[in-house]
Amino acid sequence: MASIALSRVTKSYGGQSVINGVDLDIHDGEFLTLVGPSGCGKSTTLRIIAGLETQTAGDVSIDGSLVNETRPSLRDLAMVFQSYALYPHLTVRQNLITPLRLRDLNFWERFPLLGHLVPSRRAKMAQIEKEVQLVSETLKIEPLLARKPGQLSGGQRQRVALGRAMVRNPAAFLMDEPLSNLDASLRVHMRAELSALHKKLKTTFVYVTHDQAEALTMSDRIAVMMDGDLLQLGSPEEVYQNPQDIRVAEFIGSPKMNILPGYCDELGNITCAGFSLDGTLEIPSPGPVSVGFRPEHLTLTEPNADQSLAGKLTYKENLGSDVFFHITQEGIEGSIIIRAQPLISTPQQPGDIIHCTPVPGKPLVFGPDGQRLDFKALAQSGTSS
Amino acid sequence: MGRSKAHYWFVGPAILLMLLLLIAPVVVAAALSMTDYSLGNSGFNWIGWENYEKLFTRRSYSKMFTASLTYVLLVVPISVALGLGSALLISSLRIGGELYKAIFFLPVMATLLAMAIVWEFALNPIVGVVNDILRSGCDKSVIYGFLSGSWLGYDPLESWYGSACEKKFPLWLGDRKYALGTIAFIGIWQAFGFNMVLYLAGLTSVPRELYQAAQMDGADSAWERFKLVTWPMLGPTHVFVITISSIRSFQVFDTVEALTEGGPSKSTYVMIYAMFEKGVRQNLLGMGSAITIVFLIFVLILTLVQVYFVNRKVHY
Repeated sequence: MASIALSRVTKSYGGQSVINGVDLDIHDGEFLTLVGPSGCGKSTTLRIIAGLETQTAGDVSIDGSLVNETRPSLRDLAMVFQSYALYPHLTVRQNLITPLRLRDLNFWERFPLLGHLVPSRRAKMAQIEKEVQLVSETLKIEPLLARKPGQLSGGQRQRVALGRAMVRNPAAFLMDEPLSNLDASLRVHMRAELSALHKKLKTTFVYVTHDQAEALTMSDRIAVMMDGDLLQLGSPEEVYQNPQDIRVAEFIGSPKMNILPGYCDELGNITCAGFSLDGTLEIPSPGPVSVGFRPEHLTLTEPNADQSLAGKLTYKENLGSDVFFHITQEGIEGSIIIRAQPLISTPQQPGDIIHCTPVPGKPLVFGPDGQRLDFKALAQSGTSS
Repeated sequence: MGRSKAHYWFVGPAILLMLLLLIAPVVVAAALSMTDYSLGNSGFNWIGWENYEKLFTRRSYSKMFTASLTYVLLVVPISVALGLGSALLISSLRIGGELYKAIFFLPVMATLLAMAIVWEFALNPIVGVVNDILRSGCDKSVIYGFLSGSWLGYDPLESWYGSACEKKFPLWLGDRKYALGTIAFIGIWQAFGFNMVLYLAGLTSVPRELYQAAQMDGADSAWERFKLVTWPMLGPTHVFVITISSIRSFQVFDTVEALTEGGPSKSTYVMIYAMFEKGVRQNLLGMGSAITIVFLIFVLILTLVQVYFVNRKVHY
């Protein structure tokens, strides 16, 4: 159990900056996810917390004490690697014992063969065995203890890697894309298991992923990183519903948020793709703006409906539970995606012109610099402009 | 569908060539080893196991086995350890690694026969540079005191260096006590660069993340990480390096032929040299073949040990 704090941490490799001053407070017992596209500096941030890399500037502290100069093993953190990094020549049991052995036994007790003669060794080994037993029961890997990592499936290796992290009862777990080598269904399953494990252990988890679905499903808080900057830190709901930056808005959510070019007038009224939004900007910023609609915030309407957005259906993506319509409109780059229930979606065919309207109050408006602008929707009384 | 015979045509040429080029010579050698055949003779007599009996009873052949085994036991461990050590040091360098690699690999690329001639000059007891250097230290009290142990209060004449200064420095290749060791030294000098390159290749295949995992697990010292990660992960490389070095050391010939010709008093009479002397120089093909067969068995044992015992333990 520990809180971790980064303050103004930067990292550069030979003049190339990969992390530009990240401030991050990770609370005790929290499940915090660092999410971002590959190359955004999230793994480097994790390694800096672990002590495997040294920051160029800034401070890392664990439970209030500065650990800039502390070596990884003394930071009392455990790490799960993307490749699992299990020792391939050792059995699962030996893999689990290794961190305890290195921590608890002294030099003489670890000495090959002669170590067995040191009297204190026996009691310590018994204690270690007990802890290994406990962890393997929790993770249900007891039947695997005698095997070597090469004889395990991906999911089993993943569990063993978790186990090796758990045996030490670390102050915090650091996980570097631990699920990305698993197949899709196992990944979904492990997501739930990791969440359950976090609730059970009540330990701080710092989790790195490029998969926004993992971030949304498991975390207490999400830190979205891009190009070495921490863009937004907040709960999954907040990051999804209230992205503060257009890059966050585009990255979080699947399918991607639709971004349409819009225009703001002197009074703060916004027109976009041929219709005007039912609201105004708190502080008008005349000029071009970007308007974002999540696919579920667009609804199909009749062709004659007031204030609708029309486009040609190019592709209908049926996922069973949802149907996504991809439509194109002249003058707009890319396609606009609309999410609909399968029931109402049946008649349309690719090539048809279909119409949709945004759900009132849901559009997100971003300024030319990508920052979120405060858009105030009109009261839900049904009065449109 | 009729049974096609096409498969015979596919495997036939390969099997034929293998029999002709690989198996037949061994069978012929095995047959010859049971005869007293000499090249140019019109006939030969079957003499059964007589050649083998001589091999395992005569003194000169027991010297042959001793020389070969001693050579292997000297060269293999030392050249493997040096190869691993230098590979570890070079891989830890940030700059200059390429230069060291090139330097250590030079003896491997050079023709051993040409190098042997250089060594012959260097080791010449009268005009050789080795003894020159050793001799020049005798009248320099710092070097003399250090090498003869007189600094530590020992009697300088009791030490190897002290007594050599007093009397004379070894003849190296001409002295029964030193000849095999000197040949082995040249063998090590030549072989370790090759082992180093193999180990360097092995080291690049050790995943970085394993070292990081070891660091997180508390393997703080480089020695702990070496024990936990490097040494076991190099398992397949160890097996390969040791097997190759053993076979190559069993095959040592050119330095012996160029420098000592098996002497003095058969102290460097290694197997391949014996094969050459018996089979080619003295035209005793039967005896030469018998040595060849014994040699093949040695190599076969090494290979079998590699395949059946070690390979299973090092591939995880």
